[in-house]
Parts: sequence; C-alpha cells; structure tokens
Amino acid sequence: MRHRTIIEPFRIKSVEPILLGTEEERAAHLAAAHHNPFLLGSDQVTIDLLTDSGTSAMSAQQWSGIMVGDESYAGSLSWGRMESVVRDLTGFEHILPTHQGRAAERIIYGQLGGPGKLFISNTHFDTTRANIESGGATAVDIPIAEGRDPESEHPFKGNMDVAALERLLAAERERVGAVILTVTNNTGGGQPVSLANVTEVSAACRKHGVPLVIDCCRIAENSWFVRHREPGMCDVPYREIARRMFALADAAVMSAKKDGLANMGGFLALRDDALADECRNLLIITEGFTTYGGLSGRDMEAIATGLQEVFDDRYLEYRIRSTTFLGDRLHELGVPLMRPIGGHAVYVDAKRLYPQIPVHEYPGQSLVCALYLLAGIRSVEIGSVMFGTYDAAGALVPAAMELVRLAIPRRVYTQSHIEYVAETFEEVMARRGEARGLRITREPRFLRHFSAHFEPVG
Amino acid sequence: MTTPSRASWAEPYKIKMVEPLFMTTREQREKAITEAGFNTFLLRSEDVYIDLLTDSGTSAMSDRQWAGLMLGDEAYAGSRNYYRLEEVVQRCYGYKHFIPTHQGRGAENLISQVLIKPGDVIPGNMYFTTTKAHQELAGGTFVDVIVDEAHDSASCFPFKGNIDLAKLAAVIELHGAAKIPYVALATTVNMAGGQPISLENLRAVRALTKQHGIRIIHDMTRVAENAHMIQRLEAGHAHRPLRDIVLEICSLTDGATMSAKKDALVNIGGFLATNEESVFEEARNLVVIYEGLHTYGGLAGRDMAAMAIGIEESLDDDHMRARVGQVQYLGDKLIAAGIPVVRPIGTHGVFLDAKAFLPHLPQECFPAQALAAELYVEAGVRAMERGIVSAGRDAATGDHCRPALELVRLTIPRRVYTQAHMDVVAESVMRLHEARSTITGLTMVYEPTYLRFFQARFVRRPGA
Repeated sequence: MRHRTIIEPFRIKSVEPILLGTEEERAAHLAAAHHNPFLLGSDQVTIDLLTDSGTSAMSAQQWSGIMVGDESYAGSLSWGRMESVVRDLTGFEHILPTHQGRAAERIIYGQLGGPGKLFISNTHFDTTRANIESGGATAVDIPIAEGRDPESEHPFKGNMDVAALERLLAAERERVGAVILTVTNNTGGGQPVSLANVTEVSAACRKHGVPLVIDCCRIAENSWFVRHREPGMCDVPYREIARRMFALADAAVMSAKKDGLANMGGFLALRDDALADECRNLLIITEGFTTYGGLSGRDMEAIATGLQEVFDDRYLEYRIRSTTFLGDRLHELGVPLMRPIGGHAVYVDAKRLYPQIPVHEYPGQSLVCALYLLAGIRSVEIGSVMFGTYDAAGALVPAAMELVRLAIPRRVYTQSHIEYVAETFEEVMARRGEARGLRITREPRFLRHFSAHFEPVG
Repeated sequence: MTTPSRASWAEPYKIKMVEPLFMTTREQREKAITEAGFNTFLLRSEDVYIDLLTDSGTSAMSDRQWAGLMLGDEAYAGSRNYYRLEEVVQRCYGYKHFIPTHQGRGAENLISQVLIKPGDVIPGNMYFTTTKAHQELAGGTFVDVIVDEAHDSASCFPFKGNIDLAKLAAVIELHGAAKIPYVALATTVNMAGGQPISLENLRAVRALTKQHGIRIIHDMTRVAENAHMIQRLEAGHAHRPLRDIVLEICSLTDGATMSAKKDALVNIGGFLATNEESVFEEARNLVVIYEGLHTYGGLAGRDMAAMAIGIEESLDDDHMRARVGQVQYLGDKLIAAGIPVVRPIGTHGVFLDAKAFLPHLPQECFPAQALAAELYVEAGVRAMERGIVSAGRDAATGDHCRPALELVRLTIPRRVYTQAHMDVVAESVMRLHEARSTITGLTMVYEPTYLRFFQARFVRRPGA
C-alpha cells in the first residue's frame, strides 16, 4: 500500500534531554533576557525553533567521521575528502573552507564590494546584508512581486525579478559587485528558486559581465521543490538539479550548518583563478590556512558526509513533508502564514495575526515572546527588528513584512514535538486580541536583533 | 639550568585511542616535496611520518574532552557550554569579560579593529606572523622591544622572552603614549624559540605602562608553559602551583587573545578576553559579523566543551612537567650530538639554527626553508620554517625582512608522540647534519601577498 504517513528514514541513536519548565519560570527568564529570546540560555528552552543552522542531529556515519578527523594543520586528509565532495557537487575548481558561512561571504563580498558598490539579490539575509553594508556597499533586494505577498501560492516565490535585474544592470553595471541568488530564499519565507529563473538571471549576468553568486546553504531543499514543481524536472535527481544550478553561477558560498547537516562549517567555491588567489590571502589572515580555514578536521569529515546524505531521496522527502506538516496544521487553525510552506521553516505573518500592534511596536517580537511564555518555544522575528532601519529623523523604516520564523532543525524533533507546537498556536489564536507590542530600550550598531533589549508597551 | 631526570617527565596518562602513521620511501618523499614546491605547509598529511609542523590544534584530547564533545549543546544562542567556558576562563585566567572566537586569529582581528587606529604603533616582545598581519591591516605598525638576547640563538639567558624596558621607554618617548594603543605581550615568545618572559620583567613592564596609561594585551596561547618556566627557573616561585602563576601573569595585563589550540589542548577554538567594559561592548558588536553570535563565536558547542576541560587540564603541574620535559628531552639529545639549536630549549619545540647548520648558504637561498624540506626528504619528519620566508617583506622598501634568527621549528604536539618518536626525530636530524654540505638552497618561484610562508613555492638550486 502507499502510505500517507511520512516516517523518518532513520531511527534515533543518541538522545539529549530537554527541560520542561513552568510558565512562571519562563516569565522570569524572559524578563531577565529583556524579551529577546536570543539572550535566553538554551536550558530555559523546551522546543528550540530559533534556527535550523548548526542544530542538526548528525548521523552515526557523521559521528564516526568526528572520531577519525585528521587534525593535521596542513594537508589534512579530512580536508581532502571535503574538498573532493564539494568540488564534485559544485563543479567549481577552487574550494576554500571557512569556519562558517558568514566568513565565506565576508571574504568574497569584501573582494567584490566596497564603498559605492551595489549588490543585487532575491533577498539578502541578515548577516549577508551586514557584511556587504559594513564594507560601504549597498544591498538591493529584487524578489518577484509574488515573493512579497504572503498569501500568493506561486510555486517559486524565491525567484528574482529578471526585468528589474535587467534594468538595474543596464543602468548601474559599473557599480554592481555581484548578483546573489539565495536558494532557498530564507528571508522571503524559505521559498524556492526555479532552475528556469537561475537560467535567466545567469544569462543577464553573463550579458553584462557581472558575477553570479549562489548562496547554496539550502540547495538540496531547493532541489526538492524544483523536482516536484518545475515542468520537466520530475525525473532529474536532486543532486543533478543542484549541479545544474552551480553550472550557471560563477561562485558559491555555503553555510554547511544547514544542508551540510553539520554543527559548524562553511565554504567558498570559485571558478576564477585570480579571484580565488585574492580570497585565499584573506582566508589565511582571518580564518586559517587553506586546508582547514578555521575548521577542525573532524568537522570537515562531518560536512563531507553530510553533503552526501542530504541529497538522499528519502531524507529530502521526510524533510520537506515534515515542515509542510506543521504548516498545514497551523493553516487549519487559521494562523496567517507565508504561503506556500517553505523548506526549512514555517513563517507566521505577525502583522495579520496581531493587526492591533503597529509596526513600530514589533508585532513579530510580540509573537516570539508569547510562544516562549506559553510553551517554551523559541522562534525568531524576521521583520522590522531584524531589518528595520531609521531615517534621518530617527523614525523607523519598517521591513516589508513582519514574520516570525519557526525553523525546524534537521532530524531533531519528532511528530509529537510538532503537535505540541501546533497546540500552542491554538492558545495563541484564542488570546490574539490581548497581545501587546514592545519597544526597544537598547540596541547595538550591527545586527541588532541578536542582542537588542525590549520592554512591553503600556 | 637543570635537565630533569628522565623519570620526572613520564607521561601522567596512558593511551586510550590511536591513529595510524604513514611510512613512505625516499622516492615518494622526493616526489611529494617537489609537488609541494619545497614548502612543508603544502604537503599532504598522508605523506608525512612524524608531523612536527605545529603544536597548534594537533593535541591528543583526553577521554574527558572526548566525552565533553559528545555532550556539546549546539543551540545557536545561549548554549550551556558557553556559560561553562565563561566560568572557566574567568576562574583560571581572571579576566572579566570573554568572547569566544573560532580560533586565535579571530580574536586578533577583533582586538586590532577595536583598539588600533591608522598611524598607531604597537610595541611587543617580537612579532608573530598573524598578529603582525592584523596590526598592519588595522593601520598600525609593530615595533620589536624584546631583549637583545632573544635574537642571539647561542645565548643561554633563561628569559629571552623579556621586554627590554629601555627600548620600550624609548618607543613611548618617541611616539607618545597616545599613539600606543597597547603593548603586545606574548607568553611564551614563539618566534624567539618558545622563550618565556619572567614575572619580574612583566611586573616592571606593568609598572612602566601604568605610568603612561598604556594597556597590555596578552597573547596568552602558551601562558601555562611560560608559567612552568617561571616555576622552574625564577627565584621564589618553585613552590607556587602553575595555576597561581598563570593567574598572576594575567592579572598584570588588561586583556588577552587566546588560541586555545596550544595550551588548552583542543583542535579548534580561541577567545578574546578583556577587563574593559567598553572594549568588550565594541568587540561584541563586531564578533557577530566576523565570527558568530557572541555565545558561540563560530565554535560548535562541543568544541567549547572540550576547551573548558582542556584549560583545566593544561594547568595541572604534572601534565606540564611531562609536556615541557618531552621537548627538553629532544633538545638535549640534539645538543649532545652537536646540532646547532636555539638555547635554551623552549617549551613547545626545538628550533634548529639553520644559519649555523648550513653556514655555506646565504639568507637569500632560504636556508631554513631548505633545511625543513630536506629533513622531510630524509626522514618524513615535517617541520616549519621560521626565518626570512616567514618574516615577509618590508612594507616600505619592498625588500625581504631579514630576521637575525633563521630557524627550523620542530614543534611537538601535546600528548601525541612518544619517546621513541623523539628518538627517530633526533636520529634523522643527526643524519642530515652529517650530509649538510650537500644541501643546496632554494629559489622562490611563487610569492603570495600576505603571510607568504603558508603558500610560497620554491625549487632547489642546482648543486655546486
């Protein structure tokens, strides 16, 4: 028979306790963390949906790699393994290991960017934007119009607006440092990018001589969507879909903490010899020597194995379908969501959930706090806390959307954990009218969402 | 200086997990070194028999550290391993604030960006490659104020890591305290041959910098090894526990960068520490861009767990006696055989004096680079050049910097190799010493812009 139930294509080999606290305890923890769950201790959290980055459960095969990791400073065998796996997957000649994705970004965007430069993306993620802007360049987002509409059911809402790209390239060619496609598009709701869109973007880039960089940290999940949603792709293996995307680009950056199924690590992959030389110089100064880049040998082993496991048909089926499961449950409860459900997370539209909270009182942050108080669930605001800026008069320039991301760590939580999350949303919906906003009482210069302090309004 | 009796450094541990070594033939090694451009950094680890390239990140972890690895908490924010590590850093080293980084150079990057302004001058007890590179990237200039004995490989002065107070006072006089964001103080001094600084000297440096309101930033990667030498050689400290001396050293400084890959017995990791609230705030803003959120700094939770345990183990007196004892054992063997080495023997390696080993080669023929390459061909032992190639070029003139010391570092990883391995290394160096007149120098055929020693390529000069 054909089952409707999607079971995990693995069983559990090692477990880790989670703590179940009371609502009173959580209220005290949240106050001590200034209403910013980034500042909570992990032992104060019951279900940690803060991020899918670095939080995967590794396989027995990966743990065995941890044990055999070669910690030689230069020429480590584990590097040899990781390099050949990445080269084979991406097709790029030059592979530079980094301690995580943001280091790969800093190195390449440091080379291609600088004051006056322009970077164009389907949507820049928070650390990407910070990297680019701290160097004095400007980051411009041009997702397709449907990508900005939470209710649109467009199958590839991560796509870039090619007409807008053509206009920008025609007008600003000299200033453009690179075009960046993030697959899947995290900020836009974990939405996929179609192979057809990458093909068009690549053609525009090549016509104008601008490098195309793929941020490939969730490229296996993206491949699942391409295979199941894009005409003519249903028989193409996931890995092959990824390879075709890489073939259309000039470089790739990856945080291996996502689809690398690793707890740490990343890489930069490049075609151009001269650019690779420049990047290697920076790599050595800030990250580590070219054959470890700031990673332990054991982590390179884990990445090499993880990058192979992630393209397994049954793994990807489980991964995408289990994320959709949570999305569908919340949808049935009437929770306003970013539709359709993406690959690694469910995004709640806090602006529609809490229409009474104005944008400058951060409805997303309010939901994040409510989920923690009610159930110890840790989530993250992806809205005006993360992306808001101030105009010359000091008024908030809000983000396009006020989302809350429930990111699902890979292979970590079971269906009953997910049921617990869904049940919590029943309560959130019942009490939605009581929700209040927050104001920021303290914020740092960069990436304020990580460490800002809040207090409830009123 | 007394040589400890052999029994005194017997390892205070037994072996629980082993890793195979690779044996190669001379023909294979000849081919491998040619492919690696006569640069030992570019050899593959499977072509190496005994790997003395570095003591950085190459330690054998204890069973407790491996257990810590299994208990790593990989939460993105607020991992309990972070809180535990913070407590250990504060308790063992005494600094108020701490930010984890993926390794030592991550911390160097942060402190250089926070404290150095273009045009600043940073005096220090001899340069280190990555430290100097970060200071220069931030617009500063390094000035060497180490005692003269440090540049003399034959001097047996016990504290060749000391700062020359007259030199430091002259630098302050010349540039003014406002141009000096901090004194960069390393324990021990790697480029001088792993040489320690005395507590007496450090106290005097503290007194002088205090008068002028200048910070001391401590490169503390081998502080426990330095403390061991103080315990052994400096009057009045023989009966103080290692922990106590380490705490005093740290208390005489204002902040620190740490590569935990050395003393702290881990394969990856480091941190920045400071007693200043404002420096901490600024560095915490920067760390999210370069490294990771301040509660993981680019480290897996498990690696923070291993570091917290490793720091405690590194401060054990018996551990340190065995650690330094093994290095001294190798050094004493080579001295007995008449091999020119940096005296006295340092704490983390034995440094061959390539100028004296190969007196027929001028420094332009890269004698230390050549010696390291030939030692590999001879015996499969991988060492590292620390001479003219590592020193790089003078930013102003474009010419090679010509350091007085032209060394090959035989660095001993912690808890990895046995006495028999040390005997093999000693015999290999002796064999090469007998054949030294056949060694021709090298010609550099590829030179990267920064930190050239990592990736430079060479060819052998034709024989006479």
